[in-house]
Amino acid sequence: MNYMKVILISGRTTKQGISLEMGKTSEEYSNNVAVIMMNENDMKKIGAKEDEHVEVRTKFGSAVVRCKESRIDRGIAFMPYGPWANMMISADTQGTGMPDYKGVEAKISATDKDVLTIANVIERIKEIK
Amino acid sequence: MIYKNIVCTLCGCLCDDIEVVTEGERIADVKNACEFSRSKFLNHAKDRAKHLIKKNGKLVEVPIEEALGEAAEILKKADFPLIYGLSSTETDAQRMAVELAELIGASIDNTTSVCHGPTIQAVQDCGAAKCTLGEVRNRADLVIFWGCNPAEAHIRHATRYSITPRGLYTESGRKGREIVHVDVRETKTSKMADIFVKVKPGRDYELLSAFRAAVKGYDVGDVAGVPSETITQLVEKMKSCKFGVIFFGLGLTMTGAKHMNVDAALRLVRDLNDHTKFTINPMRGHGNVSGSNDVMTWCTGYPFAVNFSKGYPVYNPGEFSAVDILARRECDAALIIASDPVAHFPAQASEHLVRIPTIVIDPKINLTSLIAKIVIPSAIAGIECDGTAYRMDGIPLRLKKVIDSEFLPDREILKKIIERVKA
Repeated sequence: MNYMKVILISGRTTKQGISLEMGKTSEEYSNNVAVIMMNENDMKKIGAKEDEHVEVRTKFGSAVVRCKESRIDRGIAFMPYGPWANMMISADTQGTGMPDYKGVEAKISATDKDVLTIANVIERIKEIK
Repeated sequence: MIYKNIVCTLCGCLCDDIEVVTEGERIADVKNACEFSRSKFLNHAKDRAKHLIKKNGKLVEVPIEEALGEAAEILKKADFPLIYGLSSTETDAQRMAVELAELIGASIDNTTSVCHGPTIQAVQDCGAAKCTLGEVRNRADLVIFWGCNPAEAHIRHATRYSITPRGLYTESGRKGREIVHVDVRETKTSKMADIFVKVKPGRDYELLSAFRAAVKGYDVGDVAGVPSETITQLVEKMKSCKFGVIFFGLGLTMTGAKHMNVDAALRLVRDLNDHTKFTINPMRGHGNVSGSNDVMTWCTGYPFAVNFSKGYPVYNPGEFSAVDILARRECDAALIIASDPVAHFPAQASEHLVRIPTIVIDPKINLTSLIAKIVIPSAIAGIECDGTAYRMDGIPLRLKKVIDSEFLPDREILKKIIERVKA
C-alpha cells in the first residue's frame, strides 16, 4: 500500500469551534472534524485528492477521514480536535496529566473505507467491555 | 429587550461588550460577537439535554428528582469517584463541585490538565511575569504569539487587546506594534503578523533555549529550523521594545517537552526583564478554565488534579489528572460537569467512562452524555443564569442572565446532589 509517514498535530479550527455550538451530533460537526489537512505534494504521493478518504494510523489506533489540501509543510498533517483524532492519541501522559495531542508519528494512505459517523463512533465506544 | 455589555463565556477572552437582543423566550440577535460567540448565543436552545437514566441499556427520560437521587446514590457508593470538567461553568458551581469532592473523597480535576496543566506546573517551578490584557492593550509594542492561533481560537483577542487597539501608550494602534508569530505551520494568525517564524515540530524547547542564550550574547547558529539571523534579529527586537509580551498556546503544552517548553519560555521572559519590561501569558481556552484553577486553589490549595481520598487534598498531575485515572481504569464512578471528555480525551482514556456509572451535568447533548448512565441538563452560565468567570489573565467578570431557562444552574444541581449525599 502506498503510504507516507507524517507528524500528526491536532488543534482548534474555526469551523470545528462553530460546529461545536451547533451540536456534536450535527452533520456539520462530523463534516468539519473528521478531516485531515495535508500538503498537496503529500496528497499526490499517496494518490488522494481533495475530499477523498484516507486512513490515518498511529501506534495507538486508526481512523478514516477526508483529506483537505492545506498550506502545511510536507511531512506534517493537521486534524481538528475531536473523536477521530482521539482514536490515534495515546493516553500515556508520562506522569504529566497531558497526552501528546501534537506531534504523533502517523502513517497515511488512501482508502475506499467509509468515514465513521458520530453515531458509529459512539457505538464503537459503547461496545467496549 | 436589548442587553448591553454582556460577557461571552465561550473562550478565555471573556469579551464583555456583547449586545444581546431577545424577543420573548428567544435570542433574536447578537452584536459585537465573533463567529463562535454568535453561534453560542443563537444556538443556545438547540440540542438541549433532558433528564435521563439508562434503564435496560437505553437512556429514558425521568423526573429530575429521580436523576438527582440516583446520581447521589452512585457517588455515595463509589470507592474512588472522579469529578471532572468545570471549565465551562461559573465559579459558584466550581466551588460546589469541590465541596462534593471533599464529601465523597473524590479525585477532582478540571480541563486544565489537558490544556494549560503543563503551564501551571512550569509556573510552580519558576514563576511567571504576567500582566493583564488591559496592560497589553495600553502598553505593548512587541507581541509574540507562540504555538497558538488566536485568529481561529480567540478571534477578538487581536482587536480588543493585542494587535489593533489604540490604548494609553499605544495611540497608533496596529502601526505602533510589531507582531511575531512562532509556530510549526502557517495559519490565519501568521497572516496578521509582521514576522512568521517556522519552528520544526517538537523543537520549541531548543528554540526558546537558543533565544535565552542569544539574549545573553551567545552566537547560537541555526536552531530548530530557524536561521541564526532571524534569532539575532528577534532577540534585538525583544531587548529593545518598551513593553513586550509572549502569548503562548497548546503548541507548547501539548508537544513532547510539555511543561519544560513553558519553563523555557517563562525563563526567557525573566531574562528579558534585565533589559526591558517583558511579560508572558497563556492563551486560556474555555471561558472559565482560569476560574476553575482559581476556585480549586482557594478551596484546596491546588489548581487541578486533586484527590480527597485521604480526607484532605493531595495534588499530583499524572496521578490524579482525569486522563490518567481513566486510562488506568481506577475510578469506579464519574461525574462530568460542563465538559465532554468523550469528544476530547484520547479514546483509550474516555472508554473507561462506558465501564463505570457516568453522570453528566451539561446544558447540551454531548458525546459523553450519549454514553452516560445519568444525564442532568443545566442552565447555560452567562446566558440562562448569572455567575462569575475569570478571564485568561485572571480578571473576574460578572456574568448576566439574559433569558429564562427551564433548567437549574449547575450550582443548584450540585447543591441538591450534596444534600442527597449527606442525607
